[in-house]
Amino acid sequence: MSFLLKCPNCGERSVDEFRFGGEVVSRPAPGAAESDWSSYFYFRPNAAGVQQEWWNHRYGCGRWFYALRDTTANAVQTTFWPGQPPPSEQP
Amino acid sequence: MFQLFRKNRMWRARPLKSRYRVVIIGGGVHGLSTAYYLTKLGVKDIAVFDKGYLGGGASARTTAIIRSNYLTPEGIPFFDQSVKLYEGLAKELNFNLLFNQMGRLDLGHTDAAVYALRMRTEFNRILGVDSRMIGPAEIKRLVPSMTLREGLPYPIIGALYHPPCGVIRHDAVVWGFGRGADRGGAELHPFTAVTAIDRANGRVTGVETGRGRVEAEIVLNATAGWSSDVARLAGVDLPLTTHPLQAMVTEPLKPFLDKTISSANLHAYVYQTDRGEVVIGGGVDPYPSYSMRSALLPMEQLAGHTLEMFPCLSNVKVLRQWAGLCDMTPDYAPIMGAVDGLDGFILSCGWGSWGFKAAPAAGRNIAALIATGNTPDIIKPFALSRFHQGRLVNERAAAPAAAIH
Amino acid sequence: MPSSNNPGQSRLEPQPGETIDRAAPVEFRFDGRPVRAFRGDTVASALYAGGTRVFSRSFKYHRPRGLLCCAGNCPNCLVTVDGEPNVRACVRPVEPGLRVRSQNAWPSLRLDLLSLLDRLHWLMPVGFYYKALHRPKALWLLARRLIRRVGGLGSIDINAAHHTEFSSRSLHADVAVVGGGPAGMAAALAAAETGAAVTLIDDQPSLGGHLRYTRLQAVNPRQAGNPKDELAAAVANAPNIHALNDATAFGLYQDNLLAVHTPGGLVRVRAKQVVLATGVQETPLLFDNNDLPGIMLTSAARRLASLYGIRPGREAVLAISGNPAATAEAYQTALELLDAGIRITAIVDASDGASGEAAQALRDRGVTILTGHRIARAVGRGRLKAAVAAPVGSTGYADGRRIRCDLLCMSGPLYPMDALLQQMGVSQPGVTLAGCATGVSGATGLDEATRQGRDAGLRAANPAPNPAPLPEPLPAPPAPMPAGKGGRAYVCFCEDVSAHDIAQAIDEGFADVQTLKRYTTVTMGPCQGKMCGRALSAICAARRPLSSAEWETKDRPEVSGGGDLFTTSRPPWRPVPLAVLAGRERMPLKRTPMDRIHRQLGATMVESGPWLRPHNYGSPADECAAVRQRVGIIDVGTLGKLEALGIGAPQLLDRIYTHRFSDLPAGRIRYGLMTSDNGVILDDGTVTRLAADRYFITTTSGNADVIEEWFNQWNAGGDNCAHIVNVTAAYGAVNVAGPKARETLAKLTAIDLSPDKFRYMRSARGEVAGVPSLLLRIGFVGETGWELHFPAEYGEYMWNAIMEAGREFGISPFGLEAQRILRLEKGHVIVGQDTDAVSTPLDVGSEWAVRFDKADFIGRGGLSIAAARPAQQRLVGFIMPPSTAGSRIVPEDGTPVVSGGRPIGRVTSARISPTLGRGFGLAWVPPHLAEEGASIQVLIDHRPVSATVTLQPVYDPQGLRLRS
Repeated sequence: MSFLLKCPNCGERSVDEFRFGGEVVSRPAPGAAESDWSSYFYFRPNAAGVQQEWWNHRYGCGRWFYALRDTTANAVQTTFWPGQPPPSEQP
Repeated sequence: MFQLFRKNRMWRARPLKSRYRVVIIGGGVHGLSTAYYLTKLGVKDIAVFDKGYLGGGASARTTAIIRSNYLTPEGIPFFDQSVKLYEGLAKELNFNLLFNQMGRLDLGHTDAAVYALRMRTEFNRILGVDSRMIGPAEIKRLVPSMTLREGLPYPIIGALYHPPCGVIRHDAVVWGFGRGADRGGAELHPFTAVTAIDRANGRVTGVETGRGRVEAEIVLNATAGWSSDVARLAGVDLPLTTHPLQAMVTEPLKPFLDKTISSANLHAYVYQTDRGEVVIGGGVDPYPSYSMRSALLPMEQLAGHTLEMFPCLSNVKVLRQWAGLCDMTPDYAPIMGAVDGLDGFILSCGWGSWGFKAAPAAGRNIAALIATGNTPDIIKPFALSRFHQGRLVNERAAAPAAAIH
Repeated sequence: MPSSNNPGQSRLEPQPGETIDRAAPVEFRFDGRPVRAFRGDTVASALYAGGTRVFSRSFKYHRPRGLLCCAGNCPNCLVTVDGEPNVRACVRPVEPGLRVRSQNAWPSLRLDLLSLLDRLHWLMPVGFYYKALHRPKALWLLARRLIRRVGGLGSIDINAAHHTEFSSRSLHADVAVVGGGPAGMAAALAAAETGAAVTLIDDQPSLGGHLRYTRLQAVNPRQAGNPKDELAAAVANAPNIHALNDATAFGLYQDNLLAVHTPGGLVRVRAKQVVLATGVQETPLLFDNNDLPGIMLTSAARRLASLYGIRPGREAVLAISGNPAATAEAYQTALELLDAGIRITAIVDASDGASGEAAQALRDRGVTILTGHRIARAVGRGRLKAAVAAPVGSTGYADGRRIRCDLLCMSGPLYPMDALLQQMGVSQPGVTLAGCATGVSGATGLDEATRQGRDAGLRAANPAPNPAPLPEPLPAPPAPMPAGKGGRAYVCFCEDVSAHDIAQAIDEGFADVQTLKRYTTVTMGPCQGKMCGRALSAICAARRPLSSAEWETKDRPEVSGGGDLFTTSRPPWRPVPLAVLAGRERMPLKRTPMDRIHRQLGATMVESGPWLRPHNYGSPADECAAVRQRVGIIDVGTLGKLEALGIGAPQLLDRIYTHRFSDLPAGRIRYGLMTSDNGVILDDGTVTRLAADRYFITTTSGNADVIEEWFNQWNAGGDNCAHIVNVTAAYGAVNVAGPKARETLAKLTAIDLSPDKFRYMRSARGEVAGVPSLLLRIGFVGETGWELHFPAEYGEYMWNAIMEAGREFGISPFGLEAQRILRLEKGHVIVGQDTDAVSTPLDVGSEWAVRFDKADFIGRGGLSIAAARPAQQRLVGFIMPPSTAGSRIVPEDGTPVVSGGRPIGRVTSARISPTLGRGFGLAWVPPHLAEEGASIQVLIDHRPVSATVTLQPVYDPQGLRLRS
C-alpha cells in the first residue's frame, strides 16, 4: 500500500492517483456457452501473486494502461499500454 | 466462580492422525464454529488446520460488530439467526465473550441515503428484526457527542436505529469456540498449513499438510482472505476479489459513546470499546491485495470522516492502524455449501466484511450440512451455483455504478 | 507532600546542556494548583522539580505511577492538557496558563478510591473477564455498566469544537534520514555532500540525539568541541538539507513513504532512499513492584538531570542487567549523578565483574558495587523507599539485601528502535540503518556511529544498482527474565499485566506470542509494546519449552514450530491526533453555473451525488402544475456531458450502448442505455448525433467521470479512432418544458421551433438569447420541451433570459422533487433509484432499447442469457385506491411489496400524482404480478394496502403532449 505505479505517460506516481480497473481477462466471443459467460462475469483468478490488471491514471492523464502487479507485496513489475506486449517482450 | 483460579488448558496439542472424517481448513472463527457445532451433532474425527495461530487471519482483524440489519429476504433471516446465537453463546460456551449490545445508528446524509436506509429498515421489520428510522432529535438524544452537521454539507437527516447491534470481544469468540470444539473431541492443529487437496473420482480424499498427508471424507474451506488460493488447491474457482480493509484504534478515553455509528456517505464507522478505545473503520481498499501492511491515505481519510461526525475527537490520538483481508463477492453475500462436481468439498467463504457476525449461524448450518448431507434452507440461497444460474443475492442493492467505480 | 510551588526545589546547579531558561519563569496549573516552571521545561519536568512523584494512576489497578521513560514512550505520565486527553507530560513543553489535569483517578491522584482494585488484584487473574461475570446474563449486563464507567484513561469534552485545522504537506527527497543524533546528522551531511536533496527528520526540539543529555567529555575526551554542536552547525549550513525538528516519523509505508507528525501538521515524505538512525531505547527490568514511583530508566534520570537541571533523587540505586554497552552507559550515568550531588547507595550489577574506568572511578569514590546481584523487589507504598537486591539465580527474597533509596535507575539491555523498519518488514528496498539502530553501542560508539552514518548517507545518495543486502542488525540481547516471585513484576505498565500473569496465560494454552498478546493485552495499550514487547517475547520463548512437561499429550507435535517471535509493529509508531491525520476538512460539493440564482430564489438545496441542487422553490405541487399547465425551467447542468469524436465514434457507441447509434442520422437523438457485461444497467441518458464523427452524450448526474472512464477502458488498446471528451463542466444546461415552452423559447431564438420543424428527439444548434446553444427536444417530464446546453459562463444570463421571456406565460422554476413526480407520471426510470445492482433492461421494460441484432455490445452476453431465463422480477407501475379523508395514500420509497406477510418486492418511487390525485409509483414485483390490473399489497404505516398494477404511464400514455 502507498505503493508507486508508473503511468506509461506520466511516470512514477503514488497509487492514490490511480483507479484500479479490474483484472485483465479475456472476454468470451458472442455466442459462447453460458458457463463461459458466467465465469467471465464473476470468476476471477484473484491471484496471490503476479496478475495483469487495468489501471487508469484518474488524477493525471486519464489514460488506461496495464500493470503486472504482485498482489502479495503490491510490487508493480511493469506497466504498458493495452494492445502492446509487456516491455520485457518488446523487441 | 472457582474456575477463575483454575489453570484449565484451553485446548490440547495432539499428534496428527492419518485420517479424519472432517478436515476444516482455517482455524478462525468460522472453522472453529463449524468444528464446535459438528461436535454438538455428535460428529467424531474432526481436525482443524491453520497455517498460523488460531484466529490469526480475518478473525484477528475484524472490528467485531454483530448486527442483522441487512437488506435482502435471504440475508436478514440468516444474520438474524446469527445474532440470536451470539446472544446465548457466552452461556453455552461458558466463556464471557464481552458481548455488548449497544445498538447501532446507520446515518443518512442525503435523500438517496435515507431511501436506502428506509429500504433496509422496512425489510428488517417485516422479517422480525428490530430496526427503525429515527430523526435528528432522537439521534442527538442517543448520541450527544456527535454533531448533526446542521448548516454544513451532508447534514445528518436521519438514521436507521438497530438496537440489537453489538460489539463482541472477537478473540474470545475464537477461543470459546476453540475450547468448545476441543472439549467435544475436535482436534485443533495450529501452525499446520494445508498445501494440497487430494481428489479422486469427483470427490476429495484428503489433504497434504506441512506435517504430513491425512485422508478425509469432507474438506471445508473456511479461510477468509485466502479462500481463492485454498479452493484452487481443489481445482475450484471462486467469484472473489480479495481486498484489504483498513481500521484503526485510538488511545482509551472515558466513556462518551455507547452506540456504533456508521455512515455510508462518509465511508466510516466508529464505536467505543468497553476499554475506552475508539475503533474506526471504513470500506475496503479500492484495489485487491493480499498485503496486510497498512496504508497512510486510508488513515487520513478515516480520521477526516471521523471528525466530520465527532469534532470533539480532534485531539484524540490514533494508537494503531491495521488491515485485514476481505474476500468480496459480486453480490456482497457469502458463499456457503457444497460444490457441484466435487463431492465432499464444502465452502464457507466469500465473507467479505460481513463474516464475523455470521460465524455462529454459518458454523451451525454448515455443520448440519456435513452431518446430514442436506443443505439447511436458510443457507440454500448462498450456494456457489447461484453465480452460474444468474440468481445473485441482491445485498448490494442500489448504486449500480458502484460496480465500475 | 512537598509543595509544587518552587520551580527550583529539586533543581541542580545549571547544567551545561540544559534546555531550560532559568531567567524565564512560566506558570501553569496542575489539578487546580499553580505550578512554577522555566521556559524549556516539559510539564513533567516542571512537576518533578516541584516534588511531584505520582503522575498518574494505572489503567486496571489504579496503582500510583511516576516518571519512567521521560521520552514520550511509556504510559506513566499521561495527563490532560487544556482538554486534550492522554498527553505525555514528559514531552509536552510548558506554556503559560496551561491547565493540566491528572487522569484516571477519583477523587484525586493522591487518594484514588479505585486503587482498592489493587488490593483485590488476586481476584482478577489474567483472563478474568472471560471467566467470570457472564452467568447469569443479568450479572454481565450490570458488570458491563460498571466496566464502562471505569474504563478508559483521559476524558474528552463532547462539546469541544474542531477548531485547530492542520495542513498536510507532501515532500520529496532523494534521501530521508530519520533521527537527528550523530549517526543521522552524519548520514544527512554525507548524502548532502554528493548533491542529494536530503530531509532530516528528528523528534526533538534540537538536533543531537542522545548527545543532548549525555556528558560528552567522558565519552570522547580527545575531542575538543562538542561533536553535537559541530554536526548541527554543519547541517544548518548545508543548503540541501531540509531539517524537520519536533517531527516524529510515525510510519514507514510502502515505497519509502514516511509519515511525519510535525507541529504544523502531517508531512508525507516520499524518498528515494531512507536512512533510519533512530537509536536505541531501554526497557524496564522485571522485579516485584518495579512500577513504584521513583523507579525509572537510567536514560530518564539522565534526561531529568541534563536537560532540565533536576535532581532525580537523593539516594540512588542503579540496577544493571544488560549487555556490555548498556552496562557502560549505566556506569557513566552513575558518575554523572554522583557529580551532580546525588548519593549512589549501590550499584547492583547482574554480571560477575565490573571493570572499566568508570567502575573503578566509582569504587574509588566509595560507591558500593554489588556484582552478581539483581533487584528482586522494590519496597515502598506509593513511593520508593528501598530496593531488595538478591544474588542472581535466587528465587526468593530470603538472601536479599535491603538498600535504602528514593531513586532506582533501571539499566536493561538497549534495543534498536527499529519499529519503522518492522512496519515494512526488514527487507524493504531503499532503507538503510545507521548508528545505534544497527545494534552498535550507545554513546561509547560515537565514532563508529558517525562513521556508519556517513557510510549510510553515501550509500543512500548513490545507491548501487544491485545493492548488497543490509548487514544483519546485531542480535538483540535477550530481555531480562523476572526476578522475585513475579506476582507484581509488571511487564506491561499500560494494562497492569505482570510476569506471573503472562506465565499463567502460557500455561492455559496461549503459547504463541500473538495469542498471548491478545489474551493478556500486553502490548495493546498506549505504549504499543515499546516498554513491554521484548519482555513478552522473552517470557513467551522461555516458558514454552518449560511448560512442555505439563502438556497432556506426551506425543506433542511441534507446537513451538510456528508463531512469530514478536508481535507486529504497526503505524503510528507514536500516537497521532486525529486532527493531524485529517488535515483540512474536505467535502467538495459541486455547484452549477446557476447556483447563486437558486439561492436568491430561496430554493431548498440538497446534496445529490457530488452536486448541490434545488430540491424545490417552495411548493413542488405548484411547480408540477406550472410545468403541466404553463412552462417550467429546471437547472440540469448536473447531467454528465460527453462528446464522442472521431470516425470510430459510431462503432464505439454501438459497442457500449445496448442500442444502435451508427445508423442515427445527424441531428437526431436516441435514448441510450448502457449495461455492464453481465447485463446490469449502469447508466442512461441521451445520445445526439451532431455530425458523422461527432456525438453529444448525457449521463446521469454524478456519473460523468465514471462513464468517461468506462468508454475509454473499452476503447483502450484497439485501433478504433474514437475519443471521449468530458465537457460536463464546460456547459450549463436547463430544461424548459410545458405547453408554453415553445412560445417562451421562440422569443429568444431564430431557430424554428414549430412542431413539424423541430420534432421530438431532434436537435439543433443555434443561438438562444444570443448564446451559442445546443437544443435537444426531449421530454423527461412528459411535456413539450427542450434541453438547452450552452457555455457555462452564460449560466445566470441564460436562466434570467428564459425567465424573463417566460414571465408572460407564467414560467416557474422547478426543482428535483417536482421533476421526480412528473417523470414518475411518465413511468420514466431513474437509474439507481428504481434500478439496483441486479436490474437489467429486460426487467424494467426497456427491451426496446436492446438491439440483439448487433453482433456484439457490452452486455450482450449477460442479456442473452437473461432473456432465455424466466425473469425473477419486473419493475411496474402501481396506483393506490382513492384516499379516505385523512389517511395517507402513498407508501414511502423503499417499502416492501408483501404477500402473506412476506416481502416479495419493493416500492422504489411513490408520490401523489397531481394528475390522478392518488398515490402511485413504481415497484419491483414477481413476474406473475406484472400484469395490467393485477393487485399487489404495499405497506402504508406497516399495514398492507392493495394497489393496482399498471404497465402504462399515468400521464399522457400515448405521448401526445410530449410530441406536440
